[in-house]
Amino acid sequence: MASVQVSEAEKVYIMHGVRDDLRVDGRGCEDYRHMVIETDVVSNTDGSAKVSLGHSDILVGVKAEIGKPRALVPDEGYLEFFVDCSANATPEFEGRGGEELGIDLSNTLYKVFNNKHSIDLRSLCICPGEHCWVLYVDVLLLQCDGNLFDAISIAIKAALFNTRIPKVHISEDAEGGKEIELSDDPYDCVRLNVENVPCIVTLCKVGQRHVVDATLQEKACSVASLLLAVTHKGMVTCVRKMGGGSLDPESISEMTETGKRVGKALHAPLMDLLKKEEGLGKNRQKVGFLR
Amino acid sequence: MPTDTKRLRGPEESQSPMLFLPPDAQILKASSRDGSRGHADVRPIFARCGLVSQAKGSAYLEAGNTKIICSVYGPRETERKDETDMKSGRLLCDFRLAPFSCLKRGAWIQGNEERDLSVALIESLQPGVCLHRYPRSQIEINVVVLENDGSILAHAVTCASIALADAGIEMYDVVLGCTLRQDGDTCLVDPTFAEESGNWLGGYGENQGRVTVALLPNFNQVSGLHADGEMREDTLTEAVRTCMDGCHKLYPVVQHALLRAVKRKAPPSVK
Amino acid sequence: MAAGFKTAEPLEYHRSFLKENCRPDGRELGEFRATTLNIGSINTADGSALVKIGNTTVICGIKAELAAPTVDAPESGYIVPNVDLPPLCSSRFRPGPPGEKAQAASQFVADVIESSDVIQKKDLCIEKGKLCWVLYCDIMCLDYDGNLLDACIIALLAALKNAQLPEVTINKETDLAEVDFQKKNRLKINRHPTASSFSVFDDSVIIVDPTAEEEGLSTALMTVVTDEEDRLCMLHKPGGSSLSGEKLQDCINRAVMRNREVSKLIDKVMESVKAKK
Repeated sequence: MASVQVSEAEKVYIMHGVRDDLRVDGRGCEDYRHMVIETDVVSNTDGSAKVSLGHSDILVGVKAEIGKPRALVPDEGYLEFFVDCSANATPEFEGRGGEELGIDLSNTLYKVFNNKHSIDLRSLCICPGEHCWVLYVDVLLLQCDGNLFDAISIAIKAALFNTRIPKVHISEDAEGGKEIELSDDPYDCVRLNVENVPCIVTLCKVGQRHVVDATLQEKACSVASLLLAVTHKGMVTCVRKMGGGSLDPESISEMTETGKRVGKALHAPLMDLLKKEEGLGKNRQKVGFLR
Repeated sequence: MPTDTKRLRGPEESQSPMLFLPPDAQILKASSRDGSRGHADVRPIFARCGLVSQAKGSAYLEAGNTKIICSVYGPRETERKDETDMKSGRLLCDFRLAPFSCLKRGAWIQGNEERDLSVALIESLQPGVCLHRYPRSQIEINVVVLENDGSILAHAVTCASIALADAGIEMYDVVLGCTLRQDGDTCLVDPTFAEESGNWLGGYGENQGRVTVALLPNFNQVSGLHADGEMREDTLTEAVRTCMDGCHKLYPVVQHALLRAVKRKAPPSVK
Repeated sequence: MAAGFKTAEPLEYHRSFLKENCRPDGRELGEFRATTLNIGSINTADGSALVKIGNTTVICGIKAELAAPTVDAPESGYIVPNVDLPPLCSSRFRPGPPGEKAQAASQFVADVIESSDVIQKKDLCIEKGKLCWVLYCDIMCLDYDGNLLDACIIALLAALKNAQLPEVTINKETDLAEVDFQKKNRLKINRHPTASSFSVFDDSVIIVDPTAEEEGLSTALMTVVTDEEDRLCMLHKPGGSSLSGEKLQDCINRAVMRNREVSKLIDKVMESVKAKK
């Protein structure tokens, strides 16, 4: 993943700051950076969102296609994730480097989002055993400035909120054959219930404390971080330890506690914001890519 | 799906006979662990070093029906030259589930699950290995799961750390793994495959999940943490603690296996 | 001193032993390494066997699945063997798709199945043109110390003998397959082929069951497959130095003897597995 070189003196400076709950950019340990969310940015997707968190820029597009349900769960649809690490984001993504990171990221996203807790997968089923909706979630990393997972998860939640799946009718002909008909009216759509979609909170252990939404500099000072996916009810749906270091049991429970608190608090304002933006309709001010 | 031209392929499509069972028949019976094993008990493990003659170090581990073999090669010169951080060595991992290891036949091509497992394995082992002692080199860890009867990640971690030690790689501590399956209020330590998937596929309730912890027993530090499902935060914290206890129970067996390997390699001098 | 000689001049080292009609590991020229067999140890497979020839360890697991037969052969099932040499078994193999050696071994096993008729594909048919068994015979090498092919064939044969398939019937009314896991049937083993590998040193000396090191130093390799009625099923000699007809006959004779030994071993282990149950 993207990283920067930090000198020893800088490290000491950052770590002392974190100890006193004052980070280099003036934030406290549990504060996020400034966040910009915009939905419905790509017109040829069924749902899209762009999130900037600090200088991290993420674009997520959701496409709904009709596919065959998996043999084990015939009455459910499913999500597919693809993360494209553009070489624009950081030079390290050039060639195979980005590809591998992309696979790892999408595997983790799959674990976090593709389960019954986050989205009612049954609502994606059209006809058990034969047809279901497959949501292709494409994540494009435009710029990396630390804390990718949190930004991606927020962008995915926003994009899923924005997703409109066309209504379908199943008509049966005389011989019992089934036919799927798409609704003619483009506004005749189904929306997803995204209330339960978790947000990821990554906590970086810096010195004795841990920080939320670490910048690349802070990340360089930390040996281990904990990724937590938290729902709006404060349930933890996924935990991963990342990085080459280990954590003592005490700080794990502290970090889960913080993660839960921060994650839970993230959901309500996010939903409010998304609803408010939608309420603006076509009149909203477009921020766009070229600001 | 990329076609595999380098292997012999069978028919385009074939289905496991399990799919043809009448729907009410249950193949996986989630046992209630009556009698033989308490909820907090780990299965007795069998571990032995040095079974792969060609490898620098190797280990075989059996816990119940779960069978895992691991070999370690290296350290040798790193293949990736573009790596910025050359001051410390790298761990590489090839994690495979044998096609016959699961209830349903797996594919030969490494799937997402295997990739995920190998990333998790590396992250769990890394804190235990003195990588700064191996600059510009890579250590290869190859794991094959011969039979999957639950808790494979945890046992693979234990098995791989024994193999690393057997290979003479400098380590701070061995790494032990333990998995826990939370099912409502009950938690089952070191679940079997049936317990692991049990009503996982059926309805989800509250507090359902699976937690895998990797532990450095002498430092009492958690080197790997992997949890899926939906759990309350206090349940999660409790689960981590229970897993750590489970890890400690494995320690004597691992120590014994390593001692045995060392004794065999350097027989005590006869006076 | 000996260790230094071995690394510096491996070929000379081996020659000095062969001159005395013995080999570095103490074997005679025509002696196989100790062969052990473990049957049915993998519960998730329908049939399995682990074979050790000296250090070389090979495991074979059989998974049976259902499929529709091909149009050309509506009455036969499929047997799909694959040999895998994971990086686990030796540092000479890299992760990723199978290399040349693994591909050649897979093809060899497939050819043995085909030419020896170990299982009649007709027997795998459940309903003509509709449903048949596919036997996926996945063979994995866990420790590579030469003579892979012999080990593969023993593992395959033992696993096939161990395999039990659930009974499948086709419901006349619904036209769907029904599986009964309570009733299990063994496969009908038609022939019992075994392989014996030889390696040729300096175009003249023939040794059996070469180790990985011996394989690397030899000028030619040859594998002879015979069945229990002493018929020659297959002869596999991929290039290398030429061999006289006389020598070849010697090898075939040794292979016939080896078949007896292996059959005895498999029967003995099968017996002991049954006795345990």
